[in-house]
Amino acid sequence: MREERSPMLEEVKRLAKTALQEQRVEGVLGLKKDVGNVIQPHIFERSDDLDALVLEPKWLFAKLAMKILRVSDTGYRLAVVCRGCDERAIVELVKRNQIAENSIMTIGIACGDAQAAACLCERPYPENIAAGEKKQGVDPFNDERVRQFLVGDTSERVARWLRVLRRCIKCYGCRNSCPICICEPCKLEDDTWVPKGVIPAEMMCFHLIRAFHLSDTCVACGACQDACPVGIPLLNLQLSMRRTLTEKFCYEAGIDRERKSPILRNFFDEEEKGRDIPDWVSSLE
Amino acid sequence: MVEETTVREPKILIFACRWCGLIGADGAGKKRMSLPANFRIIPVECAAFVETDAIIRALASGSDGVIVMGCHVGGCRFNDANHAAIKRLELFQVLLEATAIGKERLLISFGTAHEGHQFSDVIQNYTTVLRELPPIDPWISTLSVRR
Repeated sequence: MREERSPMLEEVKRLAKTALQEQRVEGVLGLKKDVGNVIQPHIFERSDDLDALVLEPKWLFAKLAMKILRVSDTGYRLAVVCRGCDERAIVELVKRNQIAENSIMTIGIACGDAQAAACLCERPYPENIAAGEKKQGVDPFNDERVRQFLVGDTSERVARWLRVLRRCIKCYGCRNSCPICICEPCKLEDDTWVPKGVIPAEMMCFHLIRAFHLSDTCVACGACQDACPVGIPLLNLQLSMRRTLTEKFCYEAGIDRERKSPILRNFFDEEEKGRDIPDWVSSLE
Repeated sequence: MVEETTVREPKILIFACRWCGLIGADGAGKKRMSLPANFRIIPVECAAFVETDAIIRALASGSDGVIVMGCHVGGCRFNDANHAAIKRLELFQVLLEATAIGKERLLISFGTAHEGHQFSDVIQNYTTVLRELPPIDPWISTLSVRR
């Protein structure tokens, strides 16, 4: 495992070093192996420090990068060592004017097969791959863990969903860990939508509002379910909406830097990139 | 029949665009048509105003079904705003289907209810649809139902 990884790591280190030396960026955000083998995010600002850079485990930097850029001086440029999902999240944040496009640079690394299988990732590689090999993605709808929630008998699925959602302790970990969940103020903190002091969180209100707010933005990074302390498979809420957007509108969050989400557009402006008017519409006029 | 006393009439909440759905509702009232008494209407300026959050709130507060009524596609007063509304609501139906609540809980009716008799048909058909569905009760936590 280590033998395979090392050329990728060397390549990333080389790229980061050149970027710092040529002063294209002021800092490189990546994981640092500290004393006592503690691995944590770190901004490398001097090229000598880069020896401590590591790539594992999976860590999403998009939200962190956004927050760093918000508090840093204007003109501060950051390079981020990011995986496929992380790069897509950064693209979405740029689209939503949370990160200035010229202040961020990505050093994309492709995930291995093991990581892709663990995440059930359809696209375990960034668009700009700097290091690593592009591996085939996994179709989540072929996996039994997903199918039992999304496909099959309704009453069984209801029971299954209710069993997992009742475990919710309303820690807001799913919202906080999500790289693209950025609204201020948040609707989930408003008593109108999610009543305060009710635990477990109201199943429909809390989870469906959160899921639908991310419907066209979700990059399927799986940060929500990794963060969930009670192991609710939260990504399953998003998968079928992501699949629908891909099938009906040829749209996938975080891939196209220019195109806005199709659910914000009317049918006429979308024509050149594929559109789908529901069947029942034609019978009306 | 005996069982009829135990059957709870499904409650329907309607978000009606004031240019179409609401005119239909008005027409049904003027003509004194027989309508089931199980629905409430919230007038909105345009169907695109209806957030999915409000639909979720309605279902979580005890409605069995929600109807969103808008103008027909191409007939919107607000620069094709209802196109975006259709896409959003259709996507929301996908979410409802994924969580096994069932997409039948949300009826999207665009341009199908601007006459009184059409409005009455929509409500009556939808009521029969809702009667067939399994109850939504397990999804609602009793602590938070506001009646």
